[in-house]
Order: sequence, then structure tokens, then C-alpha cells
Amino acid sequence: MTDRIASGFHPFVLPFLIGMAFVLSYCLFGMIRIILQLSKEDRRKFFMSLITPKILLKDVKDIFLNCLIHVKLWKRNPVLGYMHSSIAFGWFMLIVLGHIEVILFVPARAKLLYYPIFFNYFVSENETTLRGAVLFFLMDFFLLVVLSGIALAIIKRFRSRLFGMRRTTKPAALDLVGLYSLWAIFPLRLIAESLTADISGGSFLTLPSNWLAHLFMGHELYPLPAWWAYSIALCIFMCVLPFTRYMHIPAEMMLIPMRNAGLKIRNLNKGFAKVEVLSCPGCGVCIDACPMIASRSNVKDCTVYLNRQLRRGNDKRIDQISDKCLLCGKCQAVCQVGVQGPDLRVARRSTRGYGINQDYSNISATPLEKGHKVLYFSGCMSQLTPRIGKAVTAVMDKAGVDYEWMDRDGGLCCGRPILLAGRKEQARQLIAKNTELILASGADTLVVNCPICYRVFREEYNLPGVRVVHHSEFFAELVSKGMLSPQNGIGKICYHDPCELGRGCGVYDAPRELLSRCGTLVKAGHEKELSICCGGSLGSLSLNFSQREAITRNSYADLTVADPDVIATACPLCLSTYSRYADRPVMDIAEILMNQQ
Amino acid sequence: MRPNVVIIGGGIAGMEAAKQLLYLGYSPILIEKTARLGGHVADWYRLFPDMTPASEVIENLKKDIQNANVFLETGVQFINRLRDTYNVMLTNGVSINCHAILFATGYDLFDARKKEEYGYGVYNHVVTNRDLELWFGGNKDVRIPERPKSVGFVHCVGSRDMKAGNMQCSKVCCMTAIKQAIEIKEKFPESEVYCFYMDLRLFGKKYEDFYISAQRDHGVHFIRGRVSEVGENIDGTLQVKAEDTLNGKPLKVSLDMLVLMAGMLCGEKTRELADGVRMDVDTDGFFKSRDNIYNVTESSRNGIFFAGACTGTKTVPETVSEARAAVLSIHNYLQQK
Amino acid sequence: MMDFGFVLSKSSTVDLNKVDLSMYRQLEKLSPDVRTCMACGSCSATCTAAPYSGMSVRKVILGLQRGNDVSAMLSNCMLCGKCTMVCPRGINTRNLILNLCRIHETGGRNDR
Repeated sequence: MTDRIASGFHPFVLPFLIGMAFVLSYCLFGMIRIILQLSKEDRRKFFMSLITPKILLKDVKDIFLNCLIHVKLWKRNPVLGYMHSSIAFGWFMLIVLGHIEVILFVPARAKLLYYPIFFNYFVSENETTLRGAVLFFLMDFFLLVVLSGIALAIIKRFRSRLFGMRRTTKPAALDLVGLYSLWAIFPLRLIAESLTADISGGSFLTLPSNWLAHLFMGHELYPLPAWWAYSIALCIFMCVLPFTRYMHIPAEMMLIPMRNAGLKIRNLNKGFAKVEVLSCPGCGVCIDACPMIASRSNVKDCTVYLNRQLRRGNDKRIDQISDKCLLCGKCQAVCQVGVQGPDLRVARRSTRGYGINQDYSNISATPLEKGHKVLYFSGCMSQLTPRIGKAVTAVMDKAGVDYEWMDRDGGLCCGRPILLAGRKEQARQLIAKNTELILASGADTLVVNCPICYRVFREEYNLPGVRVVHHSEFFAELVSKGMLSPQNGIGKICYHDPCELGRGCGVYDAPRELLSRCGTLVKAGHEKELSICCGGSLGSLSLNFSQREAITRNSYADLTVADPDVIATACPLCLSTYSRYADRPVMDIAEILMNQQ
Repeated sequence: MRPNVVIIGGGIAGMEAAKQLLYLGYSPILIEKTARLGGHVADWYRLFPDMTPASEVIENLKKDIQNANVFLETGVQFINRLRDTYNVMLTNGVSINCHAILFATGYDLFDARKKEEYGYGVYNHVVTNRDLELWFGGNKDVRIPERPKSVGFVHCVGSRDMKAGNMQCSKVCCMTAIKQAIEIKEKFPESEVYCFYMDLRLFGKKYEDFYISAQRDHGVHFIRGRVSEVGENIDGTLQVKAEDTLNGKPLKVSLDMLVLMAGMLCGEKTRELADGVRMDVDTDGFFKSRDNIYNVTESSRNGIFFAGACTGTKTVPETVSEARAAVLSIHNYLQQK
Repeated sequence: MMDFGFVLSKSSTVDLNKVDLSMYRQLEKLSPDVRTCMACGSCSATCTAAPYSGMSVRKVILGLQRGNDVSAMLSNCMLCGKCTMVCPRGINTRNLILNLCRIHETGGRNDR
């Protein structure tokens, strides 16, 4: 293998170099800017994580598995998984192998950035290159892998249903430029390499096509236009990359270490949140996942569109999208990158200025009776569903639990609803008031039947010495201790995972365990992390009552696919929301447990 | 032989229509899904404005329709439209060919369990207007205390309520509540009676007299505020929360018993049946008349007529007059054929 | 001030011709459903904050229509959403309160 061009240069590499220089400097400056935007504490956290071997190792592993192999996508949709990993991993391997070729055969050129990319143009094959055969084969093999991925991508663009996607995003104009240039890169590379394959050598893909080219075009081939086109395609792709969804490629490599460092979304327009937004690949998986698409008018309010509007800085739409969302968290659960759609929205809500800022300093709640081991907090919503409180207390009485119902006659709000409205400071005040009440009571267990409250108690409260449990977990414990012995006999039960309990707190098994003692559990169409929000969520600020009906009916229909006798849930809001449109009994797990004693 | 007329529904509208059709020489066929005639009115004890026993009204009607064909415990499976007649298939296997059908399907009483915050079916002492009438009529009801010291009436339960799926005013509940409040006071003169209302809609003959009497003679308390939620005290009494909107302050009161004035909805089953002959439903959820001023008793389909509460909430006298009007429409329709 | 032994009290009559409705007009734009309130009081009765502070969405809405200052009442709202759950007219009261708090920011001139 020897250098064919003495200077080691040809003007056609210029477009590539320009594109590369642009994209690298853009990303570098962007990275520096984002790191500077981080709060001092966050920045320290981030740097510390980079010098902690354990986290660093995890970063490398996560980047490899997520950015190149797309493991999460494989699990959800193998065809899409193959499509993405073939392009990403195949391309990565082409670059790596290209460098190996340069180092092995023309080490003098190793400093030239473009050499590995256009290697086949600059070299010619000679007798000594037998050891290159393996590399040639691998190069052709990975080129084929990438091309198969591109072929799938083209089919997906026009027939997304074949890939199990009902709805996909409508790309913006620049996205299309990026898309078409990406599609063009690899076929052009194939043509270019094929046309020079009789000089530079090749393998199973390039050699036969070189032979074919000779067959049609005669002895003299003109490879230069193809190399120019290849370089220009690369240039276009790299130059538009920062302004398209393909920005997710570099952004995700930054997102993973930041997330592993434990950073949280604080300011929507700077730092970590910016990386989150840029990491959205715009694939549109969140569209099919969103419960709001039960009515078509909400399609453009899904997370992928939030990210798009955030990149564009369209304030009006960002506000609308942020206020509408139910914050059920399903988009995040299905997202390959794990973009925190709900947190982004709450962050947006918190940037709003208010002339009236709630203040609860004048409120003094009545102290609780001391001496009870267990406190029961039913929450505001449960006052509108008296069945639940009655059932919970009946079950606890039955099991002989010594408890006090701390908000029997109404109490303070847990703080979660106002937190969801983006008003953290106000939530803090309520949290402080409740904390004081609970700690002063001397109880060691706090039983909560409302997942909305439960989540804020778990995430935002600091209650030393007090164990916070959801009533489903508490009752499951009582059953396993033999303090309750439910009879199986209620028939077929379908359990709905409340968003805040399931995706929010990861409690999936305790309710199922309880219910399987009371009847036969049947499956819903979508379960656990894929469960569909009932539509009653407090997360949404702007959805009004009539707009929620379609969401509820759609979600309810998903619960009745196996024709259950009873719909069970573990949230007062889901309970009252479903009851409104239900054609069969909707019950809280506490009620079912009480009936089956 | 005079043409057949099928009447669906054996409440007061259906019975009155059958009676009038018999007078005119037709042979009405009355179909009633339950085991007895009289519909909702048969559950009632006394009717305003003259406190007429409901049983008297029903018994008189029964006597008048002795010669009609009555199918009890029979529903309609489907209705087929033929060239200019209808074929009505009953659940007992009988198939009837008729020239005209009268829908006298009435209404469904709102299922008070759906307003869960009021605790019907959850707490021990919450009943509906219907439960109370049945109790007045002599039925036993453990939910009604022997000597209630305080009783509340909640107006508009399942009426004027988007959340309950019915935006309409049920029209008769205000008057019924006042009538029942007076009856409670007559039974338990020592008790305190509270009516929680949003607006008092007392539009009919002598209704205002009842209102005045409830205030002057019986000392019933009227509180302008919709009950938002009901709790249960440890002693089993009910804790009712409302805003006293005239005083501008939240209000709570402990009661021994709560009566929910369940509203009137168009029956879901009858709507399904009507879908078969593609009958229109009006924006209020009830059947759609040809027009709501001049042809209330006619549907937009030739040969199908309405009487009573299937086209909207009605009082007993309104229903009776409408049944007569419907019969006249049917008679004219059959004469023209 | 000289003490005359009596004070002239301001007229307590609401003169609808002179009432300042600018705040209400803005709210109407952001939350059009505010117009459908029928003053049933369900929101106030169910309100988590009411026992502590006299918060009442009904009074807030009426107050705006009569040109009263309602900001004091709003400052105890916990945004728990119960009032939205019980409103028979389906008014999104929670969002209405948020919108109102926002309007106050700019003294009732623009919406952001």
C-alpha cells in the first residue's frame, strides 16, 4: 500500500474540512458555554464525576451502549434498533478502521484529519498489502451495514407504520436537508470507492462494482466527481448538523456524563436543560406514547415538539405546550435518550413571573394527637372520594393498626400540585408546615393513599425516623405478616397504574400482589411504565374538563380489553376520573381489600 | 279494524296515552319493561301541588286502560321500519306491526353514587328523593333515623353539572325538595331542616305557596350554596360542607340525614333503542322533537311520536297533557293515511 | 385633620358605570370559562385554603366583576385543584387563579 498522490492533498477534501472544522468548533464552544452556564455546585459535581473512575467507566459504557448500539431501542423495537445501530455503529467502525488503515499503511499521513475518510483515493494497492485484505473486507462489510441502515431509514420515512410507529414527526426544512445529506453520504462513498477500487484495492462490495463500472463505462473511469460529491455531502451534513435534530449525536455524548454526575434541570434555557433539549433525536416515539393524542389536536404538544420549539425559542408555543401537559412521564419512559419532558415543562412553568406570590406564613395547622405509631394522610383529593378513606381506615381497624387520620377534617395540601405548577418556593412552605406537624406527632410510619402526595413525600420531604409508604405497600406488608387475609372472589380485576405511583415512584408490584389475593388479575392493553394516564392529572394546567374526556375514554378502553369485572386503581384522582365514564365498577385497592375480608 | 299503535313505556305518559287512544277507538299496545305500571310516579307518595296520593292517580289510570293490550316485563328488542309501518320486535318473542309508535320512555333518575363526594352508598344516612318517597309510602329504610334531629336536602344532584354529564336543570327537584322538607317537618316537627340550593326554581302553579309555607309554617332553612362534600363524623352523623354564598363564608353543619335530589336524565337504554330507527337526540341529551314549540310530541320520523319526559324533564300534569296532545297528533297522522 | 365628631364614610354602593373592569377583561381573555360561573360556591366550600384564609374562587370572580381588589384572597391558595374537580360548570379554576396571579404582575396591562 503506497501513497498515490505525492502531495497527499486534493481540493475535494476542502468541503469536508470546512464542515468538520465548523462542527467541531461549534460543539467545542457550545460545550464550554454550557459548562460555564452550570451553577457552581453543578459544575463541581460534573468535573468530580469525570475524575471518579467508577462514574467515568459508566459514562463510557453508557455512551457506547446508548449512542452507538442503541440498546434501549433494540429492546423496544428491534427493527428500529438495527436501523439506528447499523448507521451509528457502522459509521463509527468505518472511522476507526479508516484510522487503523492510515496508521498501518501510511503512518506518515496520520496527522491529516481527512486521510482516513478519503483513504481509498489517496493510496494504491501493491503486492505487500496482503495483510490489508482483512481491513478491506471489514471496510466493505461496515459500509454495507450502514447502507442497510440507510435503506431502512428511507423506507421508514415513507412507511413508518411498517416499523410499528403510528405517528412520527414532521421534519422541519433544515432537518430534511440534514436527512437527505445523511442518506447521500454512504451511497456516494460506495460509488467513489468503487470507482477507485481497481487502484486502491477493495473487497466484496467495491471490487464487483468497480468491475461493473468498467463494463458500462469502458476502460477510463472518472472517480473525481464522486469523491467531490462524497465530500460535499459530508460538508452539508456537518454544516447543518447544529441546526437540526442530528445535534442529538454530540449532545447525547455530553448528556450522559452530566446525568451520571447527578445534575438536575434547573434553568430551562441554560446548562443541563439545554443539553437535554439538544439530545432529543426527534424520533417521535413520544407522540404515540402521549395520552393526549387521544384527540388529534394535541399531537403538536408532545415532548418532541416541545424540544423543537425550545430550540427555536418560540415562547408562545413553549408556554402552551408546557401548560397543557399532564406530566404523566410516559414520554420520558419510552424515550431512548430519556429526555425529561415533564421536568422541562415544570422548569418552564417556574420561569413565569407572578404578581401575587402565595404565602402561607399566616396559616397554623392544628397539632396532631400524639402517641400513634401510624399516621394516615389521605390528601385533598380523597375528600372527594370518601370511599377510599372509609376503606383504608376499615382495613387498618381490621388489622389492628394504631393510627391517626391526620387530615380527616381537611388538612394542608402536600405541596405537589403547586410544585407541578412550577412554584417551588411556595411548595417549600407547605412542605415545611407538614413536616413540622408530622415530626411533632412522634409517629414512625406515614401511610398515604394518594400517589400525588406520596411522590412529594418521598422526593421532597425530609422526615427522619418516619417511613413513608403508599397504602398498597402498607397493606401488602400487613397481608404478608398475616394481619389481613383477603378472600379471593371478586372476579377479574384489571389494575391501572397511576402515573405518580408507577412511573413516578416505581411501585408496580405491591398493588398487583394485593389484588391477586382478592381476585384474578387480567392485563390492560398497556401496563406498568407504559400505562396510559387517566386524563385527570393535576399536572396539566390548561387542559379543561371537556378536553380531558377523550383522554379518559381512550385510557379506560385500554383497561377493559380483557373484559374485567372490576377496574382497580390506587389513586383518588384516577378513581373519580374513570368512575365518570365507566361501564363497570372502578374501585380503589383499599375498597377491594375491605370487601374481600 | 283500527290500526295498531305501540306505546313504549308504561308510566303515566304511556298510560294516559293508552287511555285516550282507547277512547278514540284504537287498539293501543302498551309495553312496560318492569313488572308493574306507573313508572317513577308509582314510587312517589304524594304529588304537588295538592298532595294528591300518587297511588290514586295510578289506580285511576289502570282502571281506564283495562281494555288495552299490556305487556309487562317486556322490552323492545328492535324496531324495523317497513314501507309505511313499523315492525316492533319484543323481548318475549312477539312481533307487532303497527302504524305508529309512541315513545313514552320517560327518564332515568340520576345515579347518585356518581356524585361520590355526597357519599350515597358510602355513608349510612344518605338517601335520594326517591328513597324518601318510598319511605313516606311505607317502605322500610334503615338509612333513615327514627328521630332525625337535623335533615339536609341537596338540590341539583346530577343536574346543572358538567361533571355529572348533565348540564340541564331537572326542573322539578326544587319543588320536590320543598315538598319533602315540609313532609319531614310534619313528621318530625322538632327537627331542623336545611335546603342547600344554587337557585330556587319554583315556576309552577302554587309552588311559591309551598316555598312560603316552608319558610313561615315550618321554619325550613334555605342556604344558597351547593354542597361540595360530605364527611362522616365518628358518631355516624354527616358533616356537610357548603359555602353560604349569601353570607360569603364557608359553612359546615352536622346532620342526621341527607337527602339528595337526584335529577332526571334521558334513559341510556332508550337512547340505544332509538339509535335503531336513527332518532335524533337534542343538545340536552333528550330526544329531539320535530320542533320544540309547535311539534314537541312528534319526532322527525313519520309515525314516531313522543310523550312525557323522554323529550325533557316534565312535571306530572305536563306529562299528562302531553300524552293527550301526542294522541291527537297520532290520530291526525293516522287519519291522513 | 379637624375632628368634627363624625366621619363621612365612602359610599358603599357599587356604581357599575364606574367600576374598573380591566383586570376582569384580561382574565376573560386568558380564561374565557370565567364567564360561566354561576356562583354556586362549590369551589369555596371545598377549598383547602378557605378554613385558614377565607379564599373563595367565587368571591374572586365576583369581586373582579365588581372591581374589588382580590389579591389578598389569592395569596393563600395552595393550587391543590380541588375547586376544579367540583366546579359544576367545568371551569378550570386552578388555571384561572394562576392566570390571575400573572395578570397582577404587570398591574393588569399585558398577559406576560
